[in-house]
Amino acid sequence: MNTRKLALLLLVGFVFAPVSQAQIKHIEMRVEGMT
Amino acid sequence: MKQHLGRQSGVQSVDVSLIDGKVDVTPKEDGQIDPAQLLKAVYDSGVTVAEMDLTARGKIVKDVSGNLALQVSPNQSFAIAHNDLLKTVEPLADSSAVVTIRGELYRKPAGKKKTAASTPLKLLILEVQKKE
Repeated sequence: MNTRKLALLLLVGFVFAPVSQAQIKHIEMRVEGMT
Repeated sequence: MKQHLGRQSGVQSVDVSLIDGKVDVTPKEDGQIDPAQLLKAVYDSGVTVAEMDLTARGKIVKDVSGNLALQVSPNQSFAIAHNDLLKTVEPLADSSAVVTIRGELYRKPAGKKKTAASTPLKLLILEVQKKE
């Protein structure tokens, strides 16, 4: 693999890594009318 | 309601406390869950959601009109409502920094007995837990 391709791969990795780690961890609701 | 919520996509588990009317939803590992869909599912089961809080990890991004949003996946983001805590994350906009935010995503409008959440959900930041 040439250097240019490797650099591009690294760049794509850096750009998408934070978003791929992002996520919803927890959801809490307060509800009314529950029996 | 618990079974109804448990059937929604992206839901790992649901804990319901009848005493204080609290419902805890734990998403699956990938975190791909739609809070608006959960709101609708609760509404459809005949219960009113008074408040929905969310803890999410993501990037702060600016949309086309310059408003800030928390992007939790490439195709899911939540517009951030204006409050004092917004200023703490504003400098991180469009950077690679990842933040963990606890915020209020929905609150039942005062005076109305039962409504389905039809307006787009906005995240009101309650706490910035972590900046990475």
